[in-house]
Amino acid sequence: MNIRSPIGQTVFLLFLSCIIGFSSNLFTSNSIPWIAPELTLVEAIDTTTDEAVLVAISLEQAKTFFDDGVLFVDARDEGYYESGHIQGAMRKSFLPKLIFNIEDRQGKDVPLVVYCGDPGCGDSEQLAYDLKDSGFTKLYVFKGGWVEWSGAAYPSQVD
Amino acid sequence: MRRYFKGPVVLVARLILGGVFIYASLGKISDPAAFATAVGNYHVLPFGLENLMAMVLPWLELIAGVCLIVGIMVDGATIMIIIMNIIFVIAITQALARGISIECGCFSVAPESGDNIGLQTILRDFGYLVLAFIVFYRQEKQLEFFPKSV
Repeated sequence: MNIRSPIGQTVFLLFLSCIIGFSSNLFTSNSIPWIAPELTLVEAIDTTTDEAVLVAISLEQAKTFFDDGVLFVDARDEGYYESGHIQGAMRKSFLPKLIFNIEDRQGKDVPLVVYCGDPGCGDSEQLAYDLKDSGFTKLYVFKGGWVEWSGAAYPSQVD
Repeated sequence: MRRYFKGPVVLVARLILGGVFIYASLGKISDPAAFATAVGNYHVLPFGLENLMAMVLPWLELIAGVCLIVGIMVDGATIMIIIMNIIFVIAITQALARGISIECGCFSVAPESGDNIGLQTILRDFGYLVLAFIVFYRQEKQLEFFPKSV
């Protein structure tokens, strides 16, 4: 690496920033974890709390919500949604339109379940954070998603 | 056009860019958790990686800013600033296109700082890009101490 060349300098500055950034995080009092923690599954769901909720839920908990008539939002792309989704789930759309569609049915403080394809997909979590930023306060991410739901042969539909 | 990129024009551009980036870095360095949240709000990085970004980016801003003002590795620092600004513009644009309304996290990382993303933040970043290109395409090197010549 030639530190006299512009590219060499750029690489050097990037390297230096990484070294200082990582090591200062080790010694500072307000350090953060290297990798931000993912949402963790909750043992029990308290729907009576007034506090904002954004947690992950299991298949059984999702089924309970489904039986209670809670709104599900499918965070997958259109094609996946149309080839099969949780019965009654709302399709994802441009965020303001989705928010409009949800608010047409319920308030921002009413529980809402978001799901995507499988535990590895991040779309449900991402959409949940988008909705949180937009003022929704009772958000549950069903991490098992369509794979677990359809595997359990729970009610679904094709559009 | 490039023949004007010399003398005080370049020095002023270096001072403004350096000052802005040093100022922008300080709040982020003092509160990495809040900055990680601000980065996460853009939803451009895969989950978990916003923390790594929050550790490195503020130091990159600080070091690039100091280099520009002091006159060390000006070319490298300018390239770094150009790359950062392009990334900022892309991140803000995609957030706006998806309809996400979030705080910029550009200068203040405190929640409710009031610096929301919008056309003005994109234009501001384009302004910094113009300054950075003036420095990068400068015709003479004044008050630069390393490297003396490339």
